[in-house]
This record gives sequence, structure tokens and C-alpha cells, in this order.
Amino acid sequence: MTMAWRIFAASWKHFARNLWIGLATVVVFTMALLSVNVLLGANAIAERVVALLEERIDVTVTFNPGTPEGVLNQARFYIASLDQTERAELVSAEQALEEFKKRNANNPKILEALTELSGNPLGAQLIIKAKHPDDYPFLLDVVRGPQYSSFVRTSSYDDHKTAIAQIQQIGSQVRLFASGLVVVFILFGLLAAFNAIRVAIYTQREEIAIMRLVGASSSFIRMPFVLEGVWIALLASMLTFGFVVIGIEILDPRLTFLFDGMDTGLKSFFEMNALSLILIQAGGLSALSAAVSWIAVGRYIKR
Amino acid sequence: MIVLENVTKTYYPDSTGLEGVSLKIESGEFVSIVGQSGAGKTTLAKILMAEEQPSEGRVEIGGWDITRIRPREIPELRRQIGVIFQDYKLLPKKTVYENVSFALEVAGAKSKHIHDVVPQVLRIVGLEEKANRFPRQLSGGEQQRVVIARSLVHRPKVLLADEPTGNLDTLNTQDIMDLLVKINAFGTTVVLVTHNREVVNALRRRVITLKDGKVASDHAHGKYTLTV
Repeated sequence: MTMAWRIFAASWKHFARNLWIGLATVVVFTMALLSVNVLLGANAIAERVVALLEERIDVTVTFNPGTPEGVLNQARFYIASLDQTERAELVSAEQALEEFKKRNANNPKILEALTELSGNPLGAQLIIKAKHPDDYPFLLDVVRGPQYSSFVRTSSYDDHKTAIAQIQQIGSQVRLFASGLVVVFILFGLLAAFNAIRVAIYTQREEIAIMRLVGASSSFIRMPFVLEGVWIALLASMLTFGFVVIGIEILDPRLTFLFDGMDTGLKSFFEMNALSLILIQAGGLSALSAAVSWIAVGRYIKR
Repeated sequence: MIVLENVTKTYYPDSTGLEGVSLKIESGEFVSIVGQSGAGKTTLAKILMAEEQPSEGRVEIGGWDITRIRPREIPELRRQIGVIFQDYKLLPKKTVYENVSFALEVAGAKSKHIHDVVPQVLRIVGLEEKANRFPRQLSGGEQQRVVIARSLVHRPKVLLADEPTGNLDTLNTQDIMDLLVKINAFGTTVVLVTHNREVVNALRRRVITLKDGKVASDHAHGKYTLTV
């Protein structure tokens, strides 16, 4: 117990008396963590942009005028029951006509042409929203299947096919690139932290040798450095947490206008993952710092 | 007490630090080991404090064969022999008190024991008033006295002083030598490694002269006989 307390006290005393080295290491650690968090934030925003674009994709299946209501309801019910479907909304021929009139309220020629027709020239519409853009071809195949093909006039999928494919491609590329970049930044961060600890211990190599010469055991020399490394990592994690919170509070409201007042994905990402992010980053950095300290001190513990 | 049997230390590839050195130092002796630069004095000191291992031969301190001492046993050996260095080797970020108490802390001594012993040894070396100073705030002689205090806290049976006066002026040299003689008078074996002629001649104790890694002479009441 006495030894444990001495090691604990020595780690703090050592940190206080080597304050500049300690603070320099804290700064490097904080920068490393911040760079990872900035990238995680950017990734969250990019994900949100892609998700919003994907959300805006839907396809409209237009049925022939006069398609029986039973067929329409059955088609809607069947499509809605599929796993790939997020939602399926039926717009009746009358509603479609009203919408058409509203859209063309400023175009008297079109409205005039409508009155010349005997009945409603528009058919009912089934608006399908898939859970994932990849699912549209499948859902469209279902609608165009033998059961409904005779009732279907057109689908907007063919018009939007290229756009959907592009959004899909952009989405997957953004995700892949951002994930790769996060991994690279984590590796750089770890490398920076690794070297910061090594340099800090290198500057104290003579002290380590002296401790050994006056009879200190390897663990008694090592443990204060290991604990000091943990304190530095925790301090850097707390600082980073503070900077991230302040950064989000400043940035998030300023980005909202880009998303039409909707969630930017930044704040919600950090709020949802706060605990795991803190635990992983603080825990990971502390473990790395402790391990590097242990190894680096060992280099200077000669006989 | 200290026994060296045919000790040889060879450095890669073909440099010899010690060659076939055999000697015996009895408990309570004050022995000066002298020799010119490269004679093997420092190699001998390093072998005695297990900083290096002999290439051949056998080394024993207080009945403990340290020839092939394991790394984990070295701290225990160093707590049993006090070592004084020319360059002091004090911990710069620790105060005088902490430098001395550190030697006890590493051995797991109880806090009460530390609080009792450290002021005592600081009083012996005349530094009780400067217990809270850092090494950089002390003179060379004072720093060396801290080192002596540090080496005394374990009440060692052997005190190994490697050029303890090498960085000191005449006055401080005399102070340090008086302290070593006093410590020896209390029964501690003192092994003084030096090339200071005046110090050795003033002592009139046993002198072992090394030359080219070998024992050139060993006189019970010797003098420094080497010429530069």
C-alpha cells in the first residue's frame, strides 16, 4: 500500500516538476484527438447529407386511368408489406388531378385543355419510398410484374435512374473515403502520441539511470512514468471533450441553414455516441500512453 | 568481505578493462584504488556495483556471489552498498530531502523510518538546513555530501566512492575525505577509487595500484607512487 501510494504521489509530483514536458505532451495528444474528432464530425455531416439525398429519392408509379380501386389498394398493401419498402402512399386519380391543377395554376392553356377533356385523364399514383436506393429496381420489378403490369402506365424510376445511381455512388464513396480518412487520422494520432511520450521520457533518461543506480527496482521506476502517461492522456481527453463541445455549440447552429433547418447530423452524432467516444478515445489513448511509457522507460533501465 | 578472483573484463572487440585481477578487502578496511586513466579503476568500480559483469573470474561481496547476478537482484545489491560518484548523480527534480529519502522509498521503508533517518543523515553531512533545496541550488561539495547522505541511509557495510573529489576544490575535497574517514570509523568498509595523489597520501591506508588492467602493487600503508 505504501509503495502504491508512493508511486501514485511520485507520478503527480513528477508531472508537476516536469510541467512543460507534460504540457507539451498534453498538447500533442489533444491535437491528435481533435483531428480524429474533427474528421468524425465531418464524416457525420457527410453521412447526413447523403442520407438526406437518399431520403429525397422516391419513385412514382402511375396507373392507367380507370384502374379498379381494389387493384390499387392491393398493390399499395403488397408493396408496403415488403421488407425493402419504407413506405408506400397511394394518390387517387382525383388527388392527382388536383395536384396537377395546382402545379399549373399559372398556365391557363393547360387548364383550358383539361376542361376540353371529357373525364380525368390522370391515373392514380403509387409513391414508393424504399429503405435503401438499391431496393428500387426490385420494387419496380414487383410493380411491373404480371399481376400489375397491365394496369401500370409509367414509372418515374427510369427518369431518375441515373440520379439515383449517382447518389448511391457518391454516398458509398463518401462513406468509404471518410472511414479511410478517420482510420488514417487515428493512426497518425497514435503515432504522434507514441512519439510525444518517447521524447518526454528520452529527456529524462539520466534520471531513470540514476534511480536504478540507487537501488530502485524496474517497476518502481516505471510505474510513476506509466501513471503520468495515463494522467496526460486523461487530461488531453478532457481538453478534447471540452473543445469538441464548444466547437459543436458554435458550428451546429451555423450549419443548420444548409440543411433547411433540419438536423445537421453533427450534434446528434456526438450526443448519441458521447459515452462510447469518450471511453474509446480516453481509454485507448491511456492504454497506448501507458504501454509506450512502459516500453520507453525500459530502454533506459540498464543494469 | 569483498573478494575478486582472477577477474577479467574484455570490451568488444579487443579492449581489456581488467586482466586477471585478484584481491580481497576485509570488513572495515579503507582501501584506495589508484591508477592512471585507462588503468581499469572505473571498470572495477562498475563491476563492484554490478553495472557491468566480468568476462571471466568471480566477484563476491559480503558472501554474495555477484559474478552472474540477475538484473532483478541488482536493486537489492545496490541497497546494500553505498555508491558515491564523481558527477554526483542526484535527481535534479527532487529536493535534497527527497533525493535521500528516495533511496529508502525504493526499498519499501516505512514513512516513519524515513522521517527519522533522513534528518539524521542530513545532520551527519551538515545539510539539514538545506533539506528543501534542489541540487542546482547547492555547491559541488554540498551536492557530494547529499550523495554521501543518500548512500548512508541504508547503513551500508560497503561504501564505494568513485572519484568522489574529482569535481571539488581543495577545501571541499578535505571535507568529503573527512566524512569518508568518519564513516569508515563507524565500521563501514570504504573503497575509494581515485587518482588524487594528495588524498591518497594523506590517508596512509591500504593502496591498490592498477596498471593496464592488472594489480601493479598492493600496500597496507601505501602511497600514490605513479608518475604522470
